[in-house]
Amino acid sequence: MYYLGIDIGSLTCDAVLIDDSEKILASSVVPTGARNREAITRAADEVLRSACISEKEVTATVSTGYGRKRVEGRLTAVTEITCHARGIKALLPGTRLLIDIGGQDSKAIELDENGQVVDFAMNDKCAAGTGRFLEAMARALQVDIEVMSELDNGARGDLTISSMCTVFAESEVVSLIAEGLKVNEIVHGLNRSIASRTLSLIKRIIPDIAGFPIAMSGGVARNSGVVRAISNAMKSKVVIPPMPDTIGALGAALIARERYSHN
Amino acid sequence: MILQHFEDQESGIMNAIKKNPESASPRKKLALETARLGKRLYSNADDLVWAGPLVPFDLLNAMEVTPCFAEFIASILVSTDAGPLFFENAEQAGYASDTCGYHRMLMGSALKGMIPTPKLLISAMSPCTGGLAAMENLARVFKKDLFILHIPQKESDHGVRILANHIRNMAESVSSHTGKVLDKDRLRKAMENTNKTRDILSNIYKLAQQVPSPVNGRDLSNFGIVLPLFFGTEVGIEIAQSFYDELKSRIKANRSGVPGERIRLMWLQNRIQFKNNLVKMLEKEFNASIVIDELNVITWDPIDPEDPYIGLARRSISSPLNGTVERRVKQIVKLAEAYKIDGAINPCHWGCRQGTGARGLIDSSMKEIGVPVLNLEVDCVDPRNFAEGQLITRIEAFMEMIESRPSPW
Repeated sequence: MYYLGIDIGSLTCDAVLIDDSEKILASSVVPTGARNREAITRAADEVLRSACISEKEVTATVSTGYGRKRVEGRLTAVTEITCHARGIKALLPGTRLLIDIGGQDSKAIELDENGQVVDFAMNDKCAAGTGRFLEAMARALQVDIEVMSELDNGARGDLTISSMCTVFAESEVVSLIAEGLKVNEIVHGLNRSIASRTLSLIKRIIPDIAGFPIAMSGGVARNSGVVRAISNAMKSKVVIPPMPDTIGALGAALIARERYSHN
Repeated sequence: MILQHFEDQESGIMNAIKKNPESASPRKKLALETARLGKRLYSNADDLVWAGPLVPFDLLNAMEVTPCFAEFIASILVSTDAGPLFFENAEQAGYASDTCGYHRMLMGSALKGMIPTPKLLISAMSPCTGGLAAMENLARVFKKDLFILHIPQKESDHGVRILANHIRNMAESVSSHTGKVLDKDRLRKAMENTNKTRDILSNIYKLAQQVPSPVNGRDLSNFGIVLPLFFGTEVGIEIAQSFYDELKSRIKANRSGVPGERIRLMWLQNRIQFKNNLVKMLEKEFNASIVIDELNVITWDPIDPEDPYIGLARRSISSPLNGTVERRVKQIVKLAEAYKIDGAINPCHWGCRQGTGARGLIDSSMKEIGVPVLNLEVDCVDPRNFAEGQLITRIEAFMEMIESRPSPW
């Protein structure tokens, strides 16, 4: 039997296919774009093709992410908080704090010793400090988002980006470039801003994080500069699972298996 | 335009009840009476007094002036088609867009001439200085006097006596501005009515505590804040009695407010005032019921009809909207235990320091008794700032979390 998890985020649509032994058979990440139904089909097709499984052979599908209720034929829809927690439990058991920064959401999720969600906090009014924020900053710096993660190398690290509104931060970055500041200093400043914002979320639910095993998921976890900045801000090691952007989809697939068996 | 809105609302409810008498629910009764109050406010027939929510409305009712608190009318106006225009109007007049939506709505509509001119305005120092500033602004727009009621933060005999005297001064000020005299017998009768309403409310809240609760997430929304407008009147007693009878009959018929109730919730501070699907979603998808709103609570003893000022003062001081955060948090914890709630939702109304300033203290105290709190950031009044999808994700995740953990009780 095969179980499919689909995570429809604002930037990417991710799919993970597992079998009855919870083995990951295939995973995919495609841009969501403006038409999320097409992205859902593309992400699902990719994993099925890669695992040589037909759609009919999928026993149950669980969807997550902001577009979770648009997936047809799903067993159920579950929020990304629960799915990321379930996914990290499978890959990094014992994690007690999960940081998930996706396209437009950032979350701090506290887990108990069994991997159950105990508390969580999310960004509210504003999506500054998320994947879209980084995209906008890469655009302002005229660098590729993929290479941006290593651009903070060698920075002295005393620059602070004062504004956390994406639009204002973009103009601030442009001004800093015009003033002749080095790109690595600016990127480091941006990473520190994101880390400071993330730390506020974390402290809301866990005032003292000393000794907490910490992991990070979501697309931004691929950005090693941001991860370093968060790790420095917390004075703790942050572990990144393999393919961090598919943790939500993996959690959804695992929940599909559990719920189907339970029913 | 607004008068027409209230007239339509009144006739609509009456026609619906006439057509189908069985549809006469307590909620409709409350809506009918608030429509009638709205009609009185906008018909220029009565002496109006705009007042803050901690002002003793029963005393004003006894004086036969029509009292209304500003936040109430703001929540009515937001449901009209012109709502967004009023917000824009306030912002264009310099009211910052991240200030409290109640006060922005009030100022925007007043500047457009949509708030009837009162004889006097009365504001209290509680619950918020933003409200006081809005009333000062309104007084300037109307070119009318503003009476400020100083409510002590702590309950002490000395503070009660000071406030009691101050309420007397307030009544004298209302008299001098309206020409209405406070008749002793009418005041006594009003206090007797208030006490009757108080007793029924107390019984309603006891019924709501049952597991499963006879109330659903909509029955008692805004109840504890709107009903005081009718304190001191026969109508107030009738409204309260109709709710009590309805809940009693549900219990008798073994009918819970939310069929198959699984999750019991508390809503902190005030509800979202415009149409939205959140409460329905909670009921439908999670069998979750908001069984208690923070403001649905009786914190005061019956008032002595022969010496009402002391009792009125004690009531205002004891309100959950007044006093220290510490006292408020203790009250919230007490309610959480009495209603055996599984979680609390704090909307953290935008621009409301009273609402958001306490949130860390509320969270940690509730954590101690094993009750999680979901902090949202919602503009409870301005629908232009409403991101329903974002809120649904947070609320659903909160429900999933509650479902996966053992009940604190």
